[in-house]
Amino acid sequence: MKLYAYCLCANLDTFDKAVTGVSGAAVRVLKVDDFSVLVSDCESIPPTQENALAHAAVIRSVFEKTTPIPFRFGTKATEQQLRTYIASHKAALGNKLSQLSGCVEMDLKIIWRRQTANAPPSKETTGGPGTAFLRKKQRELHGDQQATAERDELSSLLRDELGSLINDESMSLRPSETVVLARVFHLVEKSKVQQYREKIDVLLRNRPELQGSVSGPWPPYSFANIELEFKPYFGVS
Amino acid sequence: MADFDQIIVGEEWENTDVSLLETLDHVLNRGLVIAGEITISVADIDLIFIGLNVMVSSVETAREVLRKREME
Repeated sequence: MKLYAYCLCANLDTFDKAVTGVSGAAVRVLKVDDFSVLVSDCESIPPTQENALAHAAVIRSVFEKTTPIPFRFGTKATEQQLRTYIASHKAALGNKLSQLSGCVEMDLKIIWRRQTANAPPSKETTGGPGTAFLRKKQRELHGDQQATAERDELSSLLRDELGSLINDESMSLRPSETVVLARVFHLVEKSKVQQYREKIDVLLRNRPELQGSVSGPWPPYSFANIELEFKPYFGVS
Repeated sequence: MADFDQIIVGEEWENTDVSLLETLDHVLNRGLVIAGEITISVADIDLIFIGLNVMVSSVETAREVLRKREME
């Protein structure tokens, strides 16, 4: 029997029976060492919107009581696999829970209108395939450098404004010729969420080139990964 | 590029739709990944996940998929 896993947290003994899991399954707490894993007994989980939302609802319910490490939708393992995984990565998981404890994720979306268009290197059409290849590489390099500069500039701007309100940050940029779309996730202490929102409001008012919106608080989905390799425990080559 | 700008800037959704999309984005694209765990079979689920991502998660994911396809 495989288990469907929702999230991992510290010392949760019971779960609200009113909240059902994926495919309507009951959710229970599996205690492994010092950790609690929220699981359902399920063999097959169709990847439907309903099941994705059920996954989110279980994590949200835990999030109201304590800080979870959410698993990504679709995570299944046997009980023995979960136990082996947790035993093998106890320290890393404990450190991650300590880092996330008492914190929430804020999801900041920013549209950054460039003051001047960033002209990429010219797209000359002369030359052979080798020249075209090198020009393509040149354009990619230019794009990478520009993305790094933009990421640094925006990150610096946000840190200047938000300062110690941010415990951690994850950012992705999608530049076009006229705007940069930034998706920024901030790890913020629960008690500082209102302050965070107010600071973002001030930032957006003072910087007309920026438009944005904030959502949250979310469970810390974007800070959950501990970059561990699970393959040896699941027999996947 | 113009189309992308138009999608980002010009599209307006109801708050409830945005909330739904954001929830699905978090659940589908984020969270602790333990590779090899996924339901049914890895290859099938990978395909299904790519489909869901493009449909419901975000323009950035769609662009990333398209960029990878262009590189192949």
